[in-house]
Amino acid sequence: MSFFDSLRQKAASVNFLDKLTDSSQPTSRDQRFRSEYKLPSEETIVDDTNADISIMHPHTRAKDRSRTGGKDRNSSYVYSGRLYLTPHYFVFKDSYDSASCNFTINLSTIRKVERAPASSYESSLAITLYCDTRMVIQFIGLKNRTEQFCRKLKDVLRENVPNTKKLIPFLDSCYSEYLIAKNVLSKCDARPSPAGLGQKYRYPGDLSKEKAKLKLWFDYFQDHGKNLTIVKNHLFYKLIRVGVPNRLRGEIWELCSGSIYNRFANPDEYHNILQANAGKDSRAIEEIEKDLNRSLPEYAAYQDEEGIKRLRNVLTAYSWKNPDVGYCQAMNILVAGLLIFMTEEQAFWCLVSICDNYVPGYYSKTMYGTLLDQKVFESFVEQKMPLMWEHIIENDIQLSVVSLPWFLSLFFTSMPLPFAFRIMDLFLLNGPNALFQVALGILKVNAEDLLEVDDDGMFIAILKNYFHTLEQSAHPESTNPKYKQITKFQELLVVSFKEFSNVTVSMVEQEREKYCKDILHNIESFAKRTQLRNLPQVRNLTQEELSNIYDLFYLCIESHKISMGTGSSNMDFEAFMQFLSSFCDWCKPGDSDHIPRFRKQKRDFLKRIFSKWDRNVTGELTLNDVVYGVDSLLSKDIMSSINNFFALFSQSGKDEVSGEGILQLSEALLFLTDAWKSGRCVDNLTKQAIEDDIADSLIIKNSGQGESLENIQLPSGVTIDEEKYKQEQAERYLQAASHFLQRSFEYAKAAEPEEEVDLLDLSDGEGDSSEAKKKKWQTLRANAALNPEKRSVMNLATFRMIILADETYEMFFALTFRKSIHVGEKIGSLDGRGGALRNMFDGLLADGKRVASQVRRRVDSAATRSSGSSGAAMDTLDSQEEVDDFSSDHPYEHEELLKNDLISFEEESEDGVRSESQRKKLQDFSFTGSLGSGDNSLIEFET
Amino acid sequence: MNTSVTSIKLVLLGEAAVGKSSIVLRFVSNDFAENKEPTIGAAFLTQRVNMGDHTIKFEIWDTAGQERFASLAPMYYRNAQAALVVYDVTKPQSFIKARHWVKELHEQASRDIVIALVGNKLDIIENGAERKVAREEAESLAQQEGLLFFETSAKTGSNVNDVFLGIGQKIPLKTAQNQAQDGGRGSSGLRINDDSRVDLRASNGQATSASGCNC
Repeated sequence: MSFFDSLRQKAASVNFLDKLTDSSQPTSRDQRFRSEYKLPSEETIVDDTNADISIMHPHTRAKDRSRTGGKDRNSSYVYSGRLYLTPHYFVFKDSYDSASCNFTINLSTIRKVERAPASSYESSLAITLYCDTRMVIQFIGLKNRTEQFCRKLKDVLRENVPNTKKLIPFLDSCYSEYLIAKNVLSKCDARPSPAGLGQKYRYPGDLSKEKAKLKLWFDYFQDHGKNLTIVKNHLFYKLIRVGVPNRLRGEIWELCSGSIYNRFANPDEYHNILQANAGKDSRAIEEIEKDLNRSLPEYAAYQDEEGIKRLRNVLTAYSWKNPDVGYCQAMNILVAGLLIFMTEEQAFWCLVSICDNYVPGYYSKTMYGTLLDQKVFESFVEQKMPLMWEHIIENDIQLSVVSLPWFLSLFFTSMPLPFAFRIMDLFLLNGPNALFQVALGILKVNAEDLLEVDDDGMFIAILKNYFHTLEQSAHPESTNPKYKQITKFQELLVVSFKEFSNVTVSMVEQEREKYCKDILHNIESFAKRTQLRNLPQVRNLTQEELSNIYDLFYLCIESHKISMGTGSSNMDFEAFMQFLSSFCDWCKPGDSDHIPRFRKQKRDFLKRIFSKWDRNVTGELTLNDVVYGVDSLLSKDIMSSINNFFALFSQSGKDEVSGEGILQLSEALLFLTDAWKSGRCVDNLTKQAIEDDIADSLIIKNSGQGESLENIQLPSGVTIDEEKYKQEQAERYLQAASHFLQRSFEYAKAAEPEEEVDLLDLSDGEGDSSEAKKKKWQTLRANAALNPEKRSVMNLATFRMIILADETYEMFFALTFRKSIHVGEKIGSLDGRGGALRNMFDGLLADGKRVASQVRRRVDSAATRSSGSSGAAMDTLDSQEEVDDFSSDHPYEHEELLKNDLISFEEESEDGVRSESQRKKLQDFSFTGSLGSGDNSLIEFET
Repeated sequence: MNTSVTSIKLVLLGEAAVGKSSIVLRFVSNDFAENKEPTIGAAFLTQRVNMGDHTIKFEIWDTAGQERFASLAPMYYRNAQAALVVYDVTKPQSFIKARHWVKELHEQASRDIVIALVGNKLDIIENGAERKVAREEAESLAQQEGLLFFETSAKTGSNVNDVFLGIGQKIPLKTAQNQAQDGGRGSSGLRINDDSRVDLRASNGQATSASGCNC
């Protein structure tokens, strides 16, 4: 059965770290490509080729024409690089210097593709975009490869036709389009698209350079395209470094983070999420509400319902989009910052981009990304600023308490907003390394002061002061006015991005990878310690056992990653079955699993346990539920373990089981004892029998020699028939089952007791003549258990009595069952223990002492028997019966009996259909598999 | 007055929205307001209190209460000499969480840490809301675990200073002992300025006053 197979495989490869790091597997080419160009997950490389590309924008063409007197002349640069085709994009990067020319053009913006004139061995395409930009692609490479690329381009373009509908409304949402419309096309009625809160509540900071900056960008858009068609070159990066104008910031952020592509691809998603979840409540929403008034409260819009509403919408939408993260404090501040420049929808997608690609795990339920980056930061400080690091170590300063808020809020809570926005520009443009560069820069600039103080509190105080003076001159004493003009913030940027320019994205990724395992492991053990510490007090489980249960519990919940805090941490029924079968012998996969009927039986029974443990009726078990549950299974008191079993079948509040329930109960018992019936497990009675036999054979061996009892050696060369014990045990369990059935129907009462039958009477019943048996079944026939009209019941007392009347079952509830639950063993070792009888024998042999003492006792008792007195030296648990007695007395009688019983069921029942099915059920359990003649393996006892 | 200054690193822990930041704000600025600065990771504040002839400088780490920040908490209670475990007297869940924090501190924090259990929002009860955490229950927890115990209202200011004074009274004793043992700054992270090597026990039980001096 695949379920068990998978379980076995799983158990074999138990390693939590494997489980949690599989998300950081080596990335595929497509993944790397997507992360480099910040494209949505549906973009894959359809084809790629080398090409020379020249681009002519209408504006430059016009300039050219005026210069050359109206002649259209191709004067633009040619860039050589790699051209990629994805389902929705044309991506190009110059091979020599990617910053000199790269673009990610959406295919829906292409208006026309035509073959350009070219020599016979070359092929080239001329592409015209919606805004009249013309692009010539000269393919480099074999002609047939080129042709293939063109064919694919054609296919992809055709598939993109429907997307062109989305283009116009989308462009309307871009400020760059408005700039062009207003100034180039001189549309006086052009209105800026809805934008961030800054549009209405003003933008924070110095706005004096806004117009000049806007003009620079306006020129850039004219010369190199905009939004979905923008071609990025050195100027683009430079314009961002000098500071983005507030009105354009939203769009530039979108462009840099790649969230613009996501927004274009999913035009309705944001509003759909909000609509679909309107009015719903969640933990995240509760937490969001608490923080709405605490997010950049100094900004006017957030003292207003307007700002609060937008903030609420974006945060809630994200919590529904990514329930694993939900909401984490600090996201409120980040989003509040984004919303000043962006619409709700833009901010939403930008947040998605930041959380997924820039700072993964920062806001997760365990905040593993935050902790990881602190570790990475420390490592950078150690590498790049050894003196500072030495100082930090020497004085036992916890650097992360200083730097964590910088990273977590992306500097929004540390610096005055206008500066934080500038950092944000560079962060979104360059990647997460920008955070590390700035953080290192901060330490570097303040190194002199920081080296003077020796605790983290002072570190914070110095830097707090520094952040509040960022707009001041870095060199107030300087006589050179140009020098004096440089602000501390400018100085910080220079130090950060010049001195630490070698802190690259790939370096950050490397370092993250380096420490990831450690961090996740720490979080995991921290989480485990915390949870174990807070588990309820239970009686029957040791700390070590609780720890094992914890491991098994989470191992079985596949979707849950403890360290990343993703997925549900509760256990559903399927996981529960895996869980139990990983440490309970009676639940382990066995031969009987091939029988559908048995599987159903198993499922039904486990379902009962599951529902019983599910105290809050949620359909899922928490770790606490499971701890309580396992604890009850392990009850050392026979009465309470009988009670617990009975309670699985009794209606809540009553301690009785009705007709159908009795049948289910007995079937459950059959299932539960199957492992012993089929010889997969061995109970104490059998163990004793084996020991006795060894002792016997030893006594016989030694009888003539008169050796001193102290020198008894363990038997050597004694052969024991494994199959014999298997069979004996199987018979014993079958007999117990048949007794149980018989007695329970006998004792299950209708309205009032019909007759008092002495228990002793019954236990002798197997010796009765067939007439007497028939008579008994006559009574049984009248029994309401089989008559739906007469409801019969068995109460707890009766059930107990019946269990206690059978030695095997009594032993089962007292010890056998409890011993079959191995919570004490480490996960890895559980699979190795096959549970076969042979292992038991091996175990017995290893436990030579016990056998030896058993032998000694037997010899003693033989001696006392011969001297006429009764064996008094036996220990109470072991002396309950001479085990081998019963099987030799009535070899197969119980089986016959059971068969007879079934026939009488069939003959005498008023409900023929049901009895038929009952018969089948019982046959399944009683006769299949268990008694089959396996190879009669003989076990050789040595030593 | 020539005063010696003892620094005490104190950390506030407790479920979200029980009033940790408000208690600190009340203690540091004698003010009550909607929190202006959101607590990201932790906020760091200091406050000096004069006790007799010496001054205690509280270095207060006010941590974020959101559940997921719990994994960051060790960073803040590391080397702390004192902790306030705060719960809301009208929220039983917050008291359960407080129990957990106490357990964690006993297990993970410095051995000598002085912990005060603080039931906050007493004012709500005085205004007729139903109390959900019995005083006796909290007292018995405090007794079992050896904690100081206070019920406060950051809003009215009731009892807030007493919490810190209570801690201040308990710490110097320990400081003096520790100093005798390991000669000043030991691995337990005690932060004592050099001029504070005086026997502070003498001042115990003396009249104390919180000064408004901020730093």
